[in-house]
Amino acid sequence: MDIPPANINQTEPSGAEDCTASVAKGAAVEMELGPESRLLPEMLGEELWQAAGAEPIELSKAEFAEALEAIGAKDNFGLDPGKQPNGRQRELFWRALHLQELAIARGCALGRESAWRRFLAQYREPLTRAAVEMTGSVALGEELASALYSELFGLTEREGKRWSPLLRYSGRGSLMGWLRAILAQRRVNQYRKIGRETELGEIEPAARVSEQIELKQLEDLRAAIKMTLSAASAEERFVLSAYYLDQRTLHEISRVLRVHEATVSRKLKRATEHLRKELLRTLRGRGLSRRAAEEALGIDPRDVDINLRRLLQESAGGPNSNKERQE
Amino acid sequence: MNWNFQLGIHPDADQLSVFVEGAATSREHEQMLAHLAECAECRKAVFFMQPHEEAQRAARTPVKGWILGRLLPVGLPAAALACGLVAVLIYLRPHGAAPPASQQVASLRKPEVILPPTAIAPSADSEMDQRSRLPRGVAPVNDLSRRDNLKLPTVNLPSSTGRQAAARVAAPETTTANLSANAPVGHAGGSAGGVIGRISPELPLNGRNYDRLENFAKLQQVPAPPVAQGAASQNSLAEKKDLGGLMIERAPAQDKTLAGVSGRITDRSGAVVAGVTVMLRDASGNTRGTTTGADGSFNLTGLPAGRYELTATASGFKTIEQSIELNPSQLAMMEPVLDAGKVSETVEVTSAAAQLQTESANVGQVITGQVVAEVPVVGREVGAPFGLPVTATVSHGKRLISLDSAGNLFLSRNGGKKWKKINPQWAGKAVRIELTPSYSNEAPAKPENETLGKANEAAVFLLTTDSGTAWTSKDGAHWRKQ
Repeated sequence: MDIPPANINQTEPSGAEDCTASVAKGAAVEMELGPESRLLPEMLGEELWQAAGAEPIELSKAEFAEALEAIGAKDNFGLDPGKQPNGRQRELFWRALHLQELAIARGCALGRESAWRRFLAQYREPLTRAAVEMTGSVALGEELASALYSELFGLTEREGKRWSPLLRYSGRGSLMGWLRAILAQRRVNQYRKIGRETELGEIEPAARVSEQIELKQLEDLRAAIKMTLSAASAEERFVLSAYYLDQRTLHEISRVLRVHEATVSRKLKRATEHLRKELLRTLRGRGLSRRAAEEALGIDPRDVDINLRRLLQESAGGPNSNKERQE
Repeated sequence: MNWNFQLGIHPDADQLSVFVEGAATSREHEQMLAHLAECAECRKAVFFMQPHEEAQRAARTPVKGWILGRLLPVGLPAAALACGLVAVLIYLRPHGAAPPASQQVASLRKPEVILPPTAIAPSADSEMDQRSRLPRGVAPVNDLSRRDNLKLPTVNLPSSTGRQAAARVAAPETTTANLSANAPVGHAGGSAGGVIGRISPELPLNGRNYDRLENFAKLQQVPAPPVAQGAASQNSLAEKKDLGGLMIERAPAQDKTLAGVSGRITDRSGAVVAGVTVMLRDASGNTRGTTTGADGSFNLTGLPAGRYELTATASGFKTIEQSIELNPSQLAMMEPVLDAGKVSETVEVTSAAAQLQTESANVGQVITGQVVAEVPVVGREVGAPFGLPVTATVSHGKRLISLDSAGNLFLSRNGGKKWKKINPQWAGKAVRIELTPSYSNEAPAKPENETLGKANEAAVFLLTTDSGTAWTSKDGAHWRKQ
């Protein structure tokens, strides 16, 4: 049941390989889900099929039911792993899906012409617009969008079978959101291909930290940060990383977390103070005097922000560099 | 499960979109955040996925449009209906709720003045008819205010318009023909024809004026102060006129340093003289000037204290000069009396001519400068046709020229039936209008004054502007600079 998602792994240089890697996995999903199709009652399947408007898209009831079964099994109907869903929970899960968009995606993935016409009519323009937004350039955006089109259309064939990434759309989110995610991943792949040096350059301030802090202290700090961060909540870590490492604005972070800007600011402040306190405590626990520990973090509280950023970079760069060294 | 991220394994697009759209379960949300905290690339992808701000705003606009599009067609008529209902309710509301307006409005009853029917001689009808049409300065207000100057010195400083307004309250219905012209002959000459000659002594003008004055004083709630000369009766008024002296009274302490001169110019008969140019010259040669109004009064304020030479000049009268000493914050009251010029004895006017041309200079000027207040002209159209009080009027044949206090000149070619404003060709303000000496001093038939040049022989009207420039005209419409 462990199905690794599509990879934009650092070890994989291109998105094409990413897609090919997923082909076999997608097929495997469908093959495995075959016997479980009876989980969907026929009446419910008929109702959902009609609600999805699957008929004009030339998607049969069986095909649609199969897709629903596969999606439910993949996410365990929205329940924690290990829990066995009952009929009611399954029905709620299926009814909550974006059924019409799921039908279009499935129809496209199966190569139905009418589904493609509808897909193009509904999503071609927004998709191109989103690509232009992401790249910040009309030419780059259109290039990105057209590359994605060909991929979605299923021009890639493996083992004589046509495959489209649309097969992996689950219907839990909107199809447009999924398309944006695909675009964003492709864009990040592009970045990685063309901008690795640039990204490494962004870590440059860490060198200055190294200059300021002795090596031993740096190692101590790195370990302390790792420990402190592991104790912090996932949200705190995300906020710290996005703010200090990616230099995202509070507004951008608030949109991702779907909270107000002020809330993010509060969380960030709390996380920073907590982190600093924990770091001081950890450093002093490792034998540093209070003064030495404060110096290591920067005495002036105003310096804490910038120092944290450097330290976080060190910390985030640490495992990767270790890994690269291992490789 | 695929949510258990390992290093190097990233969420797929479906998981990312579910997270970004907020459709993930709390467990998925936590796992995704934990991964994002570690993975810069997925963070980047997540931030890439955020719709552009402008795109978001554009996406919101249709929602607004939907609201406007759906709600407005319903909301607008509903709002209009509500407004209409409110209006109808207000209209239908019983008006008794409000107190009757009549209870709150104070009514001012006009004081009735019964004019004695014998005031006018029966033969005066045609004359009065004609006079009523003449653009004489009809200013009962000024007339009253002039007496106000005499009796109530404390009311001196208010502006003339204020006095007028107050006086109108006192006697709004007054129809007074104030026949004033700066014609040269004073009433004292006694050579005028019978009708006009009879008016002044016979009409009970003064008594009525006094009554009005009393009303006015009551309205003002200012008790008439006992002036040294005693202005309580017309007799004392007459006495006062005869004094012709200088009377210094304390002006209201409005201006602590400046002084003023106020007064009234009369002729020997006691009639006020309008259009007299009053000039004040201080020691350094600076001059201030004004012209007496239809009631013969003048007022010069805002003068620095010091010694002044007052000069009063009027056509047909001897110029008089007086010296006055103005103290700070004092208002000097002056009543100079003009003596008629030497030519007054030579005028010969028949009574018939006087009836037709009552104010004309060339038929005797009997009523020149005469205040004929409250001439009973009921039912006749008497009034200043120009909005402002007329300071002087001259006539030549059927041509009449009137000068109002603002310096505007009006011409009538048909004896006052129709008036037309003369566009000034001169700079400044016209202060005096008179007939040229050849027409004013002599009978029209025999001009004897040889001092004027040939070019001026034909000129009838003489105009003086405030800058001292003289303009002449033959017909009143076309003017030539002297």
